[in-house]
Amino acid sequence: MTDISDIKLKLETDNILLIKENITKKELVKKLVGCICEKNPSLNSEEMLGAVLKREEGISTTLESALSIPHARVEDLNTFLAAMAVMAKPIEDDYGLPIKVMFLFFSPAGQPYFAQHLKMLAHLAEKFTPEFVQELTTCATPQEIAKKINL
Amino acid sequence: MIQDPLKTQFKVKGVVVITTAMLTFITAWQAASIVLCDFASSAFYAGGIAMRAFGPAFPWYILGVMLFAGLLMMMYIESCSMFTRGGVFPVVNAGLGENAAKAAAAAILFDFTLTGPISGLSAGHYLAGLINSILKAVYLPFEVPQDICAVVFALGVTLYFWYQNVKGIEDSSDKSRKIIRFSMVICLILFVWAGITLLLKDKIVLPPFKPQLNDTSLGWASNFTLMQKIGFLGVLVALGHSVLALSGLETFAQVFREIEYPKIQNLKKAALIVFLFALLFTGGLTFLSALIIPPDLIASEYHDNLLAGLAMHLAGPNFLKLIMQGAVVLAGVAMLAGAVNTSIIGANGIMNRVAETGILTDWFRKIHKKHGTTYHIINMICLMQVGVILLSGGKLYLIGQAYAFGVLWSFVLEMTSLVILRFKNREQKRDFMMPFNIKFDHYYIPIGGAFVVLAVVSLAVVNLFTKKVATISGISFAALLFLVFHISQRLNAKKANDIFEEGHREKLNQSKVEDLAKALQDIPEGKRILVPVKNPENLYHLEEVLKNITNDDTEIIVLYAKPVDAWSVGKTRQATSIDEEELFTKVILIAEKYGLSVHPLLVNCNDYSYAVAQVALAAKVKEIIMGVSGSFGANDQLERLVMAWGAVQQGQDSAEKTSITAKIVWEGREVSYKF
Repeated sequence: MTDISDIKLKLETDNILLIKENITKKELVKKLVGCICEKNPSLNSEEMLGAVLKREEGISTTLESALSIPHARVEDLNTFLAAMAVMAKPIEDDYGLPIKVMFLFFSPAGQPYFAQHLKMLAHLAEKFTPEFVQELTTCATPQEIAKKINL
Repeated sequence: MIQDPLKTQFKVKGVVVITTAMLTFITAWQAASIVLCDFASSAFYAGGIAMRAFGPAFPWYILGVMLFAGLLMMMYIESCSMFTRGGVFPVVNAGLGENAAKAAAAAILFDFTLTGPISGLSAGHYLAGLINSILKAVYLPFEVPQDICAVVFALGVTLYFWYQNVKGIEDSSDKSRKIIRFSMVICLILFVWAGITLLLKDKIVLPPFKPQLNDTSLGWASNFTLMQKIGFLGVLVALGHSVLALSGLETFAQVFREIEYPKIQNLKKAALIVFLFALLFTGGLTFLSALIIPPDLIASEYHDNLLAGLAMHLAGPNFLKLIMQGAVVLAGVAMLAGAVNTSIIGANGIMNRVAETGILTDWFRKIHKKHGTTYHIINMICLMQVGVILLSGGKLYLIGQAYAFGVLWSFVLEMTSLVILRFKNREQKRDFMMPFNIKFDHYYIPIGGAFVVLAVVSLAVVNLFTKKVATISGISFAALLFLVFHISQRLNAKKANDIFEEGHREKLNQSKVEDLAKALQDIPEGKRILVPVKNPENLYHLEEVLKNITNDDTEIIVLYAKPVDAWSVGKTRQATSIDEEELFTKVILIAEKYGLSVHPLLVNCNDYSYAVAQVALAAKVKEIIMGVSGSFGANDQLERLVMAWGAVQQGQDSAEKTSITAKIVWEGREVSYKF
């Protein structure tokens, strides 16, 4: 597994959502961006949402395992900030692919952090196997999910 | 909700290995061997034929022609530095236009059609001569009929090399190298032994310089008394009869495409090897033969096997001389047989260059399913050669008389084109220029080149009058072939127009294989680099990879991950499907330009990055080098690739994991990441 022990990642349990209702991808992204920005007032949620959605217009961030990893690189940040959602029912991404788990993160924008940013993406892609994603969808609470993902 | 597994499973859906004859590269030595097998093999027959044409002065003229070959090779190097797929057709096409190029190709093909048979028959004569020498030595009162033996042997050799060429050049170029290595040893022994023989002689008489011209050697010129009075014309007539010693030199330009990196340096190396060996072997041994064998014996007994005669007239006991004759015959048979091979390779090369412009219909360029060779062209060449062998009835001199029309007129057109191109394509990059130039304004006025043109034009014009058989048969054959080209071009007009508009397309064999492991199993171990390609107009990264390779054991896998419209992910779904023939043609042309082999591979996929990651993992590559996408930024590309890499690593044993570097390369910049 790609080692991310050198990365400072903040994923608080109350940033892990269990989504039971019908929701679109864009609404879900907005929700997760909101979670992060609420705890980090220096971040402007509108700007952050814009940055994530802009990135989503590029190459897809949804993987075969039904994990979606929307992200944005943010200036003046020195920690990775994350929020995640586990869907009771899969939602569709822009290309019709199913999303069962969404892991959204902001990473520091400086060039030295780019390698860490890529490492984070590789780590998540490797860790969230289809079986693991499926397992997460059976979790009843955010605490249970946090325990399982153990980031 | 999406449930279609075609859309949600990113494993590559189909693996296709691309094969073509165009991706094997050879060393300078191998290239020199291929050329020498044809070019230097003329040592075995050129002297004898020249002796019959104009008498004992022949060694001077054979030597002169060999020295002139050095100048011609320099012109060839200049042409190759401009055209990777060089040789007569592309050069004349650029310099003098398509009709002249078709005429030049037709003319040189006439000589290639003769070179194979003349070499095969000569080998047969040497073999028959040896058998008869042995029969005589053991006092058996019969002889094998030389002409029949020559025909049978020539047919056998032609059929053998027909099969080898259908199989592919790599096998045959290796054989050429072995033949030349063996011939070098024999040449060295002959030189030393002939030197000792000369030292033991009371007196060494140099051959006369003045040629003895008769009605046959003067041809139609015997009717022009003025021509006979000009002494210099006699020299030209004699040189014209010696030009068959240049047989096979065009192969020098044909093999350039196959030469490995660094191409021009290797071509220069090959030129030096060819020049020195041919000068010593053809020029030197012919001269020694004339110094050692009495002229009347050459004319009566050894005109078809001059070097066997040299072996038999060396100083020493008869049994040793017989062994030497055996060794000479062995070298001769191997080399002349190699010349048959080279004539097929050379003619195939020229026909391919003609076909690439759309002049020939697809039938000619059809690729052999298993071996990836243009087997229809090879079949046609061999069939013509078999016809010449049968028609000659084994008479070497007859073919010798027909020879030289094509080689001289193709030289005239090619060398003239090169001189014209100095002005017409002034700015085209040349890694080498024929020496002796005067720089004027932005032009390099080719004084050396002009001298070569003048020399070949003089020889060609004189030969037109003196070699009747060559003129009649050469013009007839070339005219017929020109007509074939013309008709084929008319039939292929639409295709030719497409080729003109879209560029040449390489014929490719696409073989579906079960899985990636099967597709990768034949790629040698070593440092593997994966170069994904998508857009034929965006192959800068491939050029950069090839330009910067320093390691001999680097293997480059060029991957086209083809999105299948029905289930492709992302923007590729809307993307215009790339024509893989065009894409891989460009890949092959770039590989040829640098003389480095690549392993082309095509996979069908619904996610480009996943496909790249899967191939990288399966092939255990050390580096992935991608071009920048026109639709996304380099960072986005790298992000998707690392995600895909992470995903394909799932379930991998950590012990099996190795580090890999991914780079996105575009002009002057790159982004990289080490996984």
